[in-house]
Amino acid sequence: MDETVAEFIKRTILKIPLNELTTILKAWDFLSENQLQTVNFRQRKESVVQHLIHLCEEKRASLNDAALLDIICEDVDLFDMKQFKNSFKKILQRALKNVTVSFRETEENAVWIRIAWGTQYTKPNQYKPTYVVYYSQTPYAFKSSSTLRRNTPLLGQALTVASKHHQIVKMDLRSRYLDSLKAIVFKQYNQTFETHNSATPLQERSLGLDINMDSRITHENIVEKERVQRITQETFGDYPQPQLEFAQYKLETKFKSDLNGSILAEREEPLRCLIKFSSPHLLEALKSLAPAGIADAPLSPLLTCIPNKRKNYFKIRDK
Amino acid sequence: MEQANPLRPDGESKGGVLAHLERLENQMSRSRKQSEEPQSVQAQERVLGTKIQKLRHLRDDLKAAVRHRRGSVKACIANVEPNQIVEVNEQEALEEKLENVKAVLQAYHFTGLSGKLTSRGVCVCINTAFEGNLLDSYFVDLVIQKPLRIHHHSVPVFIPLEEIAAKYLQTNIQHFLFSLCEYLNAYSGRKYQADRLQSDFAALLTGPLQRNPLCNLLSFTYKLDPGGQSFPFCARLLYKDLTATLPTDVTVTCQGGEALSSSWEEQRASHETLFCTKPLHQVFASFARREKLDMSLVS
Repeated sequence: MDETVAEFIKRTILKIPLNELTTILKAWDFLSENQLQTVNFRQRKESVVQHLIHLCEEKRASLNDAALLDIICEDVDLFDMKQFKNSFKKILQRALKNVTVSFRETEENAVWIRIAWGTQYTKPNQYKPTYVVYYSQTPYAFKSSSTLRRNTPLLGQALTVASKHHQIVKMDLRSRYLDSLKAIVFKQYNQTFETHNSATPLQERSLGLDINMDSRITHENIVEKERVQRITQETFGDYPQPQLEFAQYKLETKFKSDLNGSILAEREEPLRCLIKFSSPHLLEALKSLAPAGIADAPLSPLLTCIPNKRKNYFKIRDK
Repeated sequence: MEQANPLRPDGESKGGVLAHLERLENQMSRSRKQSEEPQSVQAQERVLGTKIQKLRHLRDDLKAAVRHRRGSVKACIANVEPNQIVEVNEQEALEEKLENVKAVLQAYHFTGLSGKLTSRGVCVCINTAFEGNLLDSYFVDLVIQKPLRIHHHSVPVFIPLEEIAAKYLQTNIQHFLFSLCEYLNAYSGRKYQADRLQSDFAALLTGPLQRNPLCNLLSFTYKLDPGGQSFPFCARLLYKDLTATLPTDVTVTCQGGEALSSSWEEQRASHETLFCTKPLHQVFASFARREKLDMSLVS
C-alpha cells in the first residue's frame, strides 16, 4: 500500500472520535467482520489506529477506498447562529452566575460579542467588558485584550464548544486594527492575481527616480538600487501591507562573540533580552528600510516572515 | 455788352444760355457716370478676374506640390528593399494573430477553469456558474516547486482549501483543481439561490432568511398567500454535502396549527419534496405562479 494512502487513512481515522469508530468502520465496509473483531477498541487511540492501518495494509487499501472512508466521516460544519449564541451564553452563565453577554451580527458573517464579567458574588463590571469577534464557519475569533487572566480559559471553552471545534489555540498576533488582523489571518492581504482578462499590462518597475531629470546626471549605483528594489518587491509584493504596530522578539540565546575570554561569552546560561519594534505602520516601515539605505537587502527573515507566519510576537532560543 | 449768340431767341437765350450750360453740364456728368459705371464694374470685374486667376494659380501650384511629394514618397518606397515591405505585412498579420489569441485566452474563462503562467508557476482562475449564470471568480496562485505550494489565493476562508490541498495537491493536481471547482461551484450555486430568494420572493417570506457563510443551513418562514389567513410554513434546509446545490435534509413545519388538516399536511409534504428536488428560487417561482393562477381563477 502506498505510503501516502496509509498516511491519509491514518489521519482520517484519527479524526474520528472513539465512540463513533466502530459504526463508521462498519459503514465503510472495507475491513471484514473478522478483521474488526481482532481489534481491541479499548486501547489508546494511537494503538487502535496502528492496528487498523496494519489491517488495511493486509487488504491493500487503495486511494479510492481511502477516499470513500473520508466521505463517510466528513464533518460538515452546519453553523446555526441561534444555536451558537444560545450555547455560548449558557456555558458562561452556568460557570459564572453574574455575566452579561450581548451579541451583534454584522455583514461578512461576523458576530460581535460583548461580555461583562462578574463573579459568583459580584455583579458584572460593565466598564471593563471583553469584546470578541467570531467569524462563523472559520476557526478564528478575535479578542480584545481587556480580559482578566482568570476569565480567559472560560472564554476559550465557551467559544470552542459553541462553535463545535475541538480546541482553541492562542495566536501570537496582536494589533489595534481588526481589518489588518483579518487580512493576515485569512491570508487576504495580497489580492492581485495575473489573468488574461486584466486590462493593465504588467508595468515596468519605476525606480521612483526622476526620469525627467537632466540626462547628463546619472546614478552611480543604479545597479545596486535596482537590486534592492527588486528584492524588496519580491519580499513584500506590490500590495499595501496590513497595519501592525509592534513586533516583539524575546531572545534567550547564548552570547556569541569573536573575542576569546569575554565574560559574557563564558556564561552558561543564555542571555535574556527583549527587542521591540514599534511604528504606526510597522510592515510599511520595514518595507522602506532597504530602499532608504538604512538596512541591507534582503532583510532578516525574522522581520519579513511576520504576515506569512501570522505572528508578531516571537520567542527565539538557541537550537 | 451782349455777345452775339447764333441761336438767339432773346429772353430765352439768357435763360437759355445758362439753362443750356446747365443742360450740357448735366449731360456731361450723366455721360461721365455712364461711362464710369461700366468702367467701375469693369474695373471690379477685372480686379476679381485677376484674383481668380491668382487663386487658380495657387491651387495649381499646391496640387503640383502634393503630387510631387507623393511621387517622391513612392519613389522612396520603391527604392526600399522588398524585405521591409514584407516585414510590415508580416507584422500586421502577427498583430492580428496576437489579438485573436488574446481574445481566445480571455474567452477561456467561460469554461470555468483557466490559468495563466506566471514567473513562478501558474495562476489558476475558477469561474463559477449556476444554471447558465456566470457567478464569482476565485484565484489560486501556485508556485511550481518541490513541494508544490499555494502562494496566495482568493478562496473564501470557510471553503476547506487546506484540507483539499493536503489530500490532493502533491499527488494529483487535476483532482485538486476539480475538487476545488466542485466546492466553489456548489457554494456559488447555493449562495445564488439564497440571494434570489431574498431579492425576488421577499413578498412570500414572513421573516428574514437565516443563512450561514457557506449557505449550507437555511431557515425561513413563508406563506403561499401573503395577504391571506393561512398559517405560515417554516422550512429548514440542510446541505450536508458541500459539493451539492440541493439540500440533503429538508424539514417543513406549519406554524400555528398543531393538528393539521389533511390538505395542509399534503401541502407540507409536497413542499418538502419540492425543496429537495428543485433549486430554491425555482420552488418559490412556482409558488408565485400558483398564486397568480389562483388569483386569476378567483377573479
